[in-house]
Amino acid sequence: MAIRLPRTDVVIVGGGWTGLTAAYELAHAGRRCVVLERGQFRHTVPDLQSPAMHDELKYALRYALMMDTARNTLTFRNRPEEIALPMRRLGSFLPGEGLGGAGVHWNGQLWRPLPSDLRIRSHYTDKYGAAFIPEELSIQDWGVTYEELEPHFDFFEKICGTAGKAGNLRGQKQEGGNPFEGQRSDEYPNEPMKQPLATTLFGEAAAREGFNPFPMPSANVTKTYTNPYGAVLHPCTYCGYCERFGCGYYAKADPIICVYDRLKGHENFTLRTQSTVMRVNKAPDGKSATGVTYIGDDGREYEQPADMVLLCAYGLWNVHLLLLSGLGQPYDPATNEGVVGRNYAYQTMASTRVFFNGKHRFNPFMGAGALGMVADDFNGDNFDHASLDFVGGGYIAVTQTNGRPVETTPIPSNTPTWGAAFKNAAREHYNSTLTITMHGSSMTRRANYLDLDPTYTDDLGRPLLRLTFDFPDNDRRMSRHVTAQALRIGRAMGGSLVEQSERASDPYSIVPYQTTHNTGGAVIGTDPKTSAVNRFGQLWDQHNVFVFGACLFPQNIGYNPTGSVMGLAYWTLAAIKSQYLANPRPLMGGSP
Amino acid sequence: MKWTIAALAGCSAAIATMFVAAAQDWQAAPPSAPEARLNNRSAAFLATVERRPDRELYARGRLIAMGGGGQGATGSTCFVCHGPNGGGDSTGAFPRLAELPGWYMYKQLGDYAEGTRPNAIMTPIAKALTAEEREAVSVYFALSGAPGRNQMPQPPADPRRLQWGAALVAVGSAERAIPACVNCHGSGSEGIPPSVPGLAGQNPTYIATQLTLWKTGMRKNDPMNVMGAIAVKMTDEDIQAVADYLGRLPWSSPVSEGVPPTGVPRAQVR
Ligand SMILES: Cc1cc2nc3c(=O)[nH]c(=O)nc-3n(C[C@H](O)[C@H](O)[C@H](O)COP(=O)(O)OP(=O)(O)OC[C@H]3O[C@@H](n4cnc5c(N)ncnc54)[C@H](O)[C@@H]3O)c2cc1C
Ligand code: HEC
Ligand code: HEC
Repeated sequence: MAIRLPRTDVVIVGGGWTGLTAAYELAHAGRRCVVLERGQFRHTVPDLQSPAMHDELKYALRYALMMDTARNTLTFRNRPEEIALPMRRLGSFLPGEGLGGAGVHWNGQLWRPLPSDLRIRSHYTDKYGAAFIPEELSIQDWGVTYEELEPHFDFFEKICGTAGKAGNLRGQKQEGGNPFEGQRSDEYPNEPMKQPLATTLFGEAAAREGFNPFPMPSANVTKTYTNPYGAVLHPCTYCGYCERFGCGYYAKADPIICVYDRLKGHENFTLRTQSTVMRVNKAPDGKSATGVTYIGDDGREYEQPADMVLLCAYGLWNVHLLLLSGLGQPYDPATNEGVVGRNYAYQTMASTRVFFNGKHRFNPFMGAGALGMVADDFNGDNFDHASLDFVGGGYIAVTQTNGRPVETTPIPSNTPTWGAAFKNAAREHYNSTLTITMHGSSMTRRANYLDLDPTYTDDLGRPLLRLTFDFPDNDRRMSRHVTAQALRIGRAMGGSLVEQSERASDPYSIVPYQTTHNTGGAVIGTDPKTSAVNRFGQLWDQHNVFVFGACLFPQNIGYNPTGSVMGLAYWTLAAIKSQYLANPRPLMGGSP
Repeated sequence: MKWTIAALAGCSAAIATMFVAAAQDWQAAPPSAPEARLNNRSAAFLATVERRPDRELYARGRLIAMGGGGQGATGSTCFVCHGPNGGGDSTGAFPRLAELPGWYMYKQLGDYAEGTRPNAIMTPIAKALTAEEREAVSVYFALSGAPGRNQMPQPPADPRRLQWGAALVAVGSAERAIPACVNCHGSGSEGIPPSVPGLAGQNPTYIATQLTLWKTGMRKNDPMNVMGAIAVKMTDEDIQAVADYLGRLPWSSPVSEGVPPTGVPRAQVR
């Protein structure tokens, strides 16, 4: 029998960006919040301090900060006809675990969506006609607009002390920023990062080729900065240990330093780590949730009653919990009915290597997660699609994130992978090679979805989440087109060899790392037939359950997700504070 | 001696170095320590300011350190204040210069001259030196081996304070959001060339003074103000604690003596 705990106002599943932020906002709105995090307690001091943190083998290759697949994982297959097998090692994506979640080991590339991304079906229909959208795609509008989310994007950028340059300030185009972005109400809080040689050369070549390059918006902070919650961030030292590592310098915005440190000790805030939520409990009439059941750090089962349940467990695991708890109708691709698990999408990545054979010295070890120059000319609908046969696009960038010894061996593809020739090539190319990345959108289709696996269970006996995914042809066509532009810039850079080194594999492989940008499965929208939650992230049938994270994305944009995830989070929290707390009920249209 | 022969033959210093290294004969007396370090790759990396240091630059630096250079305004040697070999001075006012990274030291001299690190004594001295002289004297001190530990007599320190200092240096403080000093100053606080100075064995009074100068905004020469951001989070007790601890830490040289001399052709990778 579960041990029944005293009731709380709000129970929050997960202690990452979304969970801690929800706790901060609602604790300050006078609600008692309990955050349940399945992983360990950890903190910048002492757990993320270097030199211990600068252990590439432990953190980058053995994933010390991430989810333990021996206990939690999912099963995977490319197509519904196949039998899914468990992902026994991390690969394609690297979910978080422990205080701060994936926000501890992220890169900090902090983007907003394009206004047209959020109304994709209407936008393409208005501009190119309804017939333009390939039939296989189940893409849809978000039901919430860029204008509605803008103040929330802005606020999160300030929470992170984001370093960047505006391209569109209240409708005025700004020199040096992204000319395609939506209107911003304010400039970035900090100046862009200092660009090294490789990204500078890319920017120059891109400009010569007619692109509009600008510095990547970065949550690696460029000067001493105090965020709106009062957290003090320090300038980044360009140490090259962002992605897959925690930042020991207080320089990469993460949920521990930006949110938790300013929340800990608050009378309305309780954190319980090593506490895995098993399911959300439903009231007998099914019309609301009564709280959650979890396994605590002592291995015992607890019931935490609560007036509200917030799912902040990361997109994939939010969908898992919804399915396990019988909340919302599971999606069935055969009938195309149901909403939970529907419209899973990913990110379509490709890259191009440019070798300079010693002509330049890039010093790649001098890096930061979001240090780079970007051309956004082929993202979203920033370019004319009329003569093209696909929806979407991607940004083209050179980032200098690291030059760590184990992972950094840029060698031409015809080099042997061992022996003297390998070593000589590794030495020759290490310091004079750069990679152009294409970071592309991912559209949804009927056959890509999430459900419960019929065979495999996790360490607590629950069916694993099952992922069925392959890239839609639309996205392969998009990738080829945008990559051709990246190649054009690569050639203009004057390298001795330009090589296409990776591309969305056919079929999608869950083994090589691509991105931890898993989206969809509990999408936001205005129609209960095609969305799991309403436009405030609230379940249609259980009004006291709110869903956060990238599972809300109806399809994936060409950018990294966290800016959009947090824009939506603050939007939902604003609606909860202004409309829901005083009068708990299903929220209708309108703005908070 | 082979040095002289090579020099007489009109070879450049670099070629001479190679020649000697290749023909090293263990019977012959080794060159004096700092000069020998010109052949040590890690020492040369520590010392490099703008260009790879050579004997000429080193000799020029030594001359300036001895008062023979262009520092007419002071007319005194650096050793008068900074101790023999630049090892520091017991008053604690004068920091150890030996084995500071060449680039860091060069930058400090520029900062004294330009006023971002104003100091009544060092500013006129630095102003009297040309950029080339600053480079040379920095190379000289970077190549000078530091004494094994701070040899100045240390007053007894409160063990609990030392322990707190050690914790701040190695771990930092979650309460005050201070990152560990070893993050940037190296696991043994030996410094990370070219831009981060060593702290181990530096004089406690000097360390405490610098942290206080940052805290009060007097020293503002760190380009990104990382030290200013850290120092303002430290209490006076924190500052005293790290200073006491670091001053007692044995100096671990950033130079690895075991590295093969440069000039020996790199072994072909097989
Ligand atoms: C290597 C890497 C690089 C990235 N780089 C970028 C980038 O540059 N830009 C960008 O925009 N995004 C990036 N991301 C994505 C970004 O990290 C995520 O979008 C963001 O952290 C998601 O926040 P979240 O709160 O939704 O989930 P998380 O941060 O994953 O937090 C969820 C938490 O819930 C916990 N949890 C899960 N299930 C349960 C349960 N049943 N009970 C209790 N607790 C549970 C988990 O342990 C976890 O701590 C990156 C991600 C990775 C992994
Ligand atoms: C009259 C005494 C005196 C003389 C002579 C002197 N110094 Fe100094 N030096 C000081 C003092 C005092 C300081 C500490 C100043 C401060 O607090 O910034 C100092 C600091 C320095 C520093 C900063 C060290 C650090 O770790 O940041 C450098 C570099 C330096 N001196 C170089 C020299 C050189 C080179 C010479 C000779 C050309 C020289 N000094 C001569 C008194 C002297
Ligand atoms: C983010 C990196 C970073 C961290 C962390 C850091 N330092 Fe520094 N420190 C520097 C840099 C860079 C300089 C050189 C600044 C300059 O160019 O003047 C420096 C200089 C110093 C100096 C001046 C030394 C001299 O010779 O004048 C002292 C003292 C110092 N640090 C103490 C500390 C202490 C104590 C801590 C821990 C509480 C610490 N530092 C943590 C980067 C760091």
